[in-house]
Amino acid sequence: MKRMIAFLLFAVAAPVLAQPLPPPGPPGYPALQGPVLAIPVLQADLKAKAGTDTIRFSRDSYVLTPQSLATLTAQAQWLIQHPFVRASIEGHADGRQTRDYALALGERRAAAVRNYLIASGVPPQQLDIVSWGKERPTTAAAHDATWLQNSRVVTVLKQPPQPIYPTIPQPFPPPPPPEE
Amino acid sequence: MRFWCFGLSAVSAAAALVAPAAAQAQAREPQLVVAVPPMPTPKNVDTEGGQTGVLGIQIAQLIASDLRSSGAIVAIDPDKLRRYTPTEAAAPIYPNWANSGAGALVQGYVQARDDGRITVACYLYDLKTRREMTRAGFAVGAEDWRRAAHRCADAFHKAITGLPGHFDSRITYVAETGSRSAPVKRLAIVNWDGTHHNFLTQGEGTVITPRLSPDGQRIVYVSFTGGMPHVRIMDLDGENDRALLAGPPAMSFAPVFSPDGRRIAFSMANEGNTDIYIVGAGGGFPQRLTTAPGIDTAPTFSPDGRSIAFESDRGGSQQIYVMNTDGSGQRRISFTGGGHGSPAWSPKGDLIAFSRWNGSTLSIGVIAPDGSGERMVTNGWQDERPSWAPDGEFLVFDRTQQGSGIPWPYTVRLDGAEPKRLAIPQPGSDPDWSGVLQ
Repeated sequence: MKRMIAFLLFAVAAPVLAQPLPPPGPPGYPALQGPVLAIPVLQADLKAKAGTDTIRFSRDSYVLTPQSLATLTAQAQWLIQHPFVRASIEGHADGRQTRDYALALGERRAAAVRNYLIASGVPPQQLDIVSWGKERPTTAAAHDATWLQNSRVVTVLKQPPQPIYPTIPQPFPPPPPPEE
Repeated sequence: MRFWCFGLSAVSAAAALVAPAAAQAQAREPQLVVAVPPMPTPKNVDTEGGQTGVLGIQIAQLIASDLRSSGAIVAIDPDKLRRYTPTEAAAPIYPNWANSGAGALVQGYVQARDDGRITVACYLYDLKTRREMTRAGFAVGAEDWRRAAHRCADAFHKAITGLPGHFDSRITYVAETGSRSAPVKRLAIVNWDGTHHNFLTQGEGTVITPRLSPDGQRIVYVSFTGGMPHVRIMDLDGENDRALLAGPPAMSFAPVFSPDGRRIAFSMANEGNTDIYIVGAGGGFPQRLTTAPGIDTAPTFSPDGRSIAFESDRGGSQQIYVMNTDGSGQRRISFTGGGHGSPAWSPKGDLIAFSRWNGSTLSIGVIAPDGSGERMVTNGWQDERPSWAPDGEFLVFDRTQQGSGIPWPYTVRLDGAEPKRLAIPQPGSDPDWSGVLQ
């Protein structure tokens, strides 16, 4: 029975614990501690832990609602626990904004989200910011009710351009042999 | 057509300047009636564009059609007019036209050349004073006879109204294919009448908001390649494509050329604050023009290059402001309810076009640079991003259909006539109308 429970626990925990081994680093470096799961898996994990990867806004607004703040706090905790994953904070505006203003508004919304994540302890260099303006609506339909669906900021995880290796202290050189 | 003929016969005895009742309500300026009889040819020769005798009729029809699209001119159709001989082209027999009802007369001829091209000569005469108003002549490839006709019409438009016509001008825009949520966007350019369509980029990256330089040789636009929207500049043949700004990636957008083509105004966003900057067209270090917290974007130059109109939400809603080109003297000019965006300064300098929120619709209107005389020109569900024709008489804008969300460029005459779809092969957005062909 105990063995069965242990096996069950292992079966449940294995997908989370048994992360694939990181690629071998340069010789002499310890193995990487960070997660190297595929980005879609990490994105799903972020969604599960934080509730959502999307923050919504009302028309023309870049104000974070109390509900958004709770979501972002959870997102910040996740990002702090995964320091080797970069996140692109992507701002969007609705198609009914004029094009230039939509770009600026998307940036303003993304900046509001990024600032809150930084204030919650996420290192700034872990977060990129980009605005898509109204170039990537979530829905193909165009009518007044699309405001809420398209006015959004999405936290999109991405692989860092190259693995981040910690600097390890080099051992002191051996003392010179005593002179005779 | 029938209506014009009736109207013309009724007023034919009157003076050169008439204002037909139909147009009177819209156009306050008097209209000039121009007779455009078929052009003769000294010798009917087969060319690659067709027989010169046929070309003479087609060129006259195209000139009449071009002139007719202007609000200041009424053109009489070639079919309704008598023919003349090539020798008459440079020396009209005025008494023959006395009963035509026209105030001005277009004559000319088409002649085949030895090198396979054709010579198109065109003249405009004032029938009242019996004097020549202007003349133009072109040697073009026979298959390019349309350009010769357009350029004749441009010369006549300038002689009659004092402003260059748009008949030989181009419109650049963003061709849109693919789904709405993941569109393929390509820069394209087309003559205003829908001929000579060309793609400038091949859809490898999302591109938006192209603007032609005043000489029509270069184009500035915004590209999303590299993950960050940024301003790029290239020649019209696709050469010398490069980022406008050197240095670390920054989010820059809404570019526009100054009227002399030597500087570019644009917006840059940083930490939720968007401001307007200006930089030489060759790049360099940009100078910041606005500092207000909030979004300052969509700059547009006055034709004398001394002022910039732009949109800002510093007052709470999107409104239009005007400033000097060095950033001084910023003042708000639009105050009526709803938001105003995407301003465009007319080449005449007297008006600024904009798109305005009115309840749940976005439509195109115009306002004087001092903030007076605001009025609406269109009433679509979503009309945005107006851009002026070189004559300051027409606008092209981006109209999105409710429901499908499909965008299409439309042109509209300033007097509020029904907008016309631009003749392009697929949907498109962000039209920019400038640069008369050199």
